[in-house]
Amino acid sequence: MAAIPRGLTYKGIPLWRHTQVIQGVLQVVSSLLVVTLVAWFFINISRAIRDREIPYGFSFLDREYQTPIGQHFLPYESSDTFLYAFVVAATNTVIVSIVGVILATALGIFVGVSRLSGNWIVSRAALVFIEFFRNVPLLIQLFFWFYIILALPQIQNGHVIWNWLYINNRGISLPWPHASALDSALLFIAIAAAGVIVGVFVHRMLTARETATGKSSYPLVLGIGVPVVLGAVAWLAIGASSGESPFYISVPEPQGAFGRLVGGFTVSAGLIALLTGLVIYTASFIAEIVRAGIQSVGRGQTEAARSVGLTYLETLRHVTFPQALRVIIPPLISQCLNLTKNSSLAAAIGYSDLTNVAKTMTQTAPAVSIFILIMAAYLAMSLTYSIIGNLYNRHIRFS
Amino acid sequence: MRRSTAILLMAVVASLLAVLACTEEATPTPEAMATEPPVVEEKSRLETVMERGSVICASRNDVPGYGFLDDAGNNVGFDIDLCRALAAAVLGDPNAIEIRLITAAERGPTVQSGEVDMLVRTVTWTTSRDAQWGNYAQTMFYDGQGFMVRKDLGVDGVDSALDLENATVCVTQGTTTELNLQDFSNQYNLNITALTFEDTDAVVAAYEGQQCDSFTNDRSQLAAIGSAFADRDAHVILPETISEEPLGPVVPHGDEQWYDIVKTVMGMLIYSEAYGVTSGNVPTASTGDTVVDRLFGLSGSYGQETLGLKQTAAQDVIRAVGNYGEIYDRNLGSGGINLPRENGRNALWADARCTDCPKGGQIYAAPLR
Repeated sequence: MAAIPRGLTYKGIPLWRHTQVIQGVLQVVSSLLVVTLVAWFFINISRAIRDREIPYGFSFLDREYQTPIGQHFLPYESSDTFLYAFVVAATNTVIVSIVGVILATALGIFVGVSRLSGNWIVSRAALVFIEFFRNVPLLIQLFFWFYIILALPQIQNGHVIWNWLYINNRGISLPWPHASALDSALLFIAIAAAGVIVGVFVHRMLTARETATGKSSYPLVLGIGVPVVLGAVAWLAIGASSGESPFYISVPEPQGAFGRLVGGFTVSAGLIALLTGLVIYTASFIAEIVRAGIQSVGRGQTEAARSVGLTYLETLRHVTFPQALRVIIPPLISQCLNLTKNSSLAAAIGYSDLTNVAKTMTQTAPAVSIFILIMAAYLAMSLTYSIIGNLYNRHIRFS
Repeated sequence: MRRSTAILLMAVVASLLAVLACTEEATPTPEAMATEPPVVEEKSRLETVMERGSVICASRNDVPGYGFLDDAGNNVGFDIDLCRALAAAVLGDPNAIEIRLITAAERGPTVQSGEVDMLVRTVTWTTSRDAQWGNYAQTMFYDGQGFMVRKDLGVDGVDSALDLENATVCVTQGTTTELNLQDFSNQYNLNITALTFEDTDAVVAAYEGQQCDSFTNDRSQLAAIGSAFADRDAHVILPETISEEPLGPVVPHGDEQWYDIVKTVMGMLIYSEAYGVTSGNVPTASTGDTVVDRLFGLSGSYGQETLGLKQTAAQDVIRAVGNYGEIYDRNLGSGGINLPRENGRNALWADARCTDCPKGGQIYAAPLR
């Protein structure tokens, strides 16, 4: 037996009809195709870049940027480097994205639930909202909000409320805590954060104790009390040692001949228009996702819940929604990704988001490198969202 | 997407970027170059244009005088006329043009990729753009950056750009104006805030809605845009010019012949004016004047054969669009947005063939011979 080659003794199905062989070959062929295609794509790009002598490289990142950035949440000066300016711009996008996702989800759930309301007017209003906002291009909506804000009074005769809230067509300026000195502010934040972590831990421990022993242990009171007391002690201690509180409230005040508001915090007109547009547009899609999710839960579940005496809202909260979440979460993540990517339209209405600033950078830095950085930054943001979303999805699926 | 897939995707992208970086850094050694098969001669841009039957120009349609739409919906303007002149020279037909509308920030990539034959979109000539984007053919208009404000602005009114301390200024993205603004603000410690928009239309809307105190652009464009305001008398352009902005057409890198053709066509426009030839009196038979005859292909040569142009190309050009002065007047002068030219930088350098009679301008081209 051993002398006969194995191939000659094979009596099974012919190889070309063997399922495992066919599948294996198909996998190899298709992955080869994909790899070749992608490789060809990139080789082609790099060849074109070389042949046309298009500048390329990343050495510009250490140079001074020397260009203004309209709004920035991180401190920025024109003498900062390209790399730092890029980080400043990316932060602007991240903030829009995080605030936008939270607001859009909240509004989307609200509208989606309203859509299913038994009240005819409420459900029709939700329907009109959804159909209007998801069927008009986002860029048009952004311009719409931009022009609405533009119609507010200009800064010289804008609305001023109690001398600390300023509303005009450049945005809303409001009082905001500012750090007195960086190190004492950071120290305070560190202690406060530690207090919150300890507080959460205390809350969990006491809740467990209460559940186990039945003795009243005040988890909520102590859970909140620990960080508050810790924070207050830290505030006073830092204030006593350095002579000033770690933070003070800065109130916006008009300065100079043009009445520009200095101090406090200004939510710029571009940011308001961008957030409003993105939130409403995305919420109209999320509303439909929420509606689909709720409707996917069997009618019997609702009827059973109502028959044991739960109210409509209790049913929604404890019975329908937890089950609907499994259907809602995956498409909801897509909408969050869309919101983040759509924020790149900001340049049209004058908000200094990542794309806006990076496109300006192409003037004094190689465009190819800049666009690679833009792609990498959005990819990193989107993948982070995907990972968080999918972890949460797994959590609700198996708990 | 599962986490492993996400990581895989990131790895793939990272490795491809690495490939891109490596292939870029690898410079071919002389041996490698010697063993490479001889490069097949690519078609020149002139041949491509002839075959296509039209010249593709990247331009704009949002600034009166430079690139705009007339009432009939045709592209008109100074920049558009330069494109028409090129089409007339190469193809004999000024209407054989195709205008690609692009934003300011798209100008570099558009001309780098070579997808257009010429970029004429109020492009300022700077050294880094010359190095990165393409070849600047010829300065056809000398401009400088200025500021526009409302007359009733501020407590005492603003009559100098140096009064713009703490002002918010609207600016178009991807322009040299954006860069000059920061330099100016730093130089005089003005602490100017810039509000950047992708399109000039949005910049103008924000300025008109007083979202910004001032609006900065090249002075000529300020004049052009201001001329379209309903309350144009309520605005003023401040006296300071904060930058040099020489504007002119740009051609993609890598085709010397095409670059020379564009320079020559620009020269034709300028010298026709210097010689006093207009669209109305283009000579078709010898005038007895050697330089005029040479320009219009009636005797001698200024290099048409080498450039691949028709002997009488200048006749087609001037008949179609007129000389430099006519183009200026029609679009930027009395027939357009009313920018004065007399004795300014955009006048000719000298009177026709009388080099001792300076006109004080800077519009000059290489002699056509």
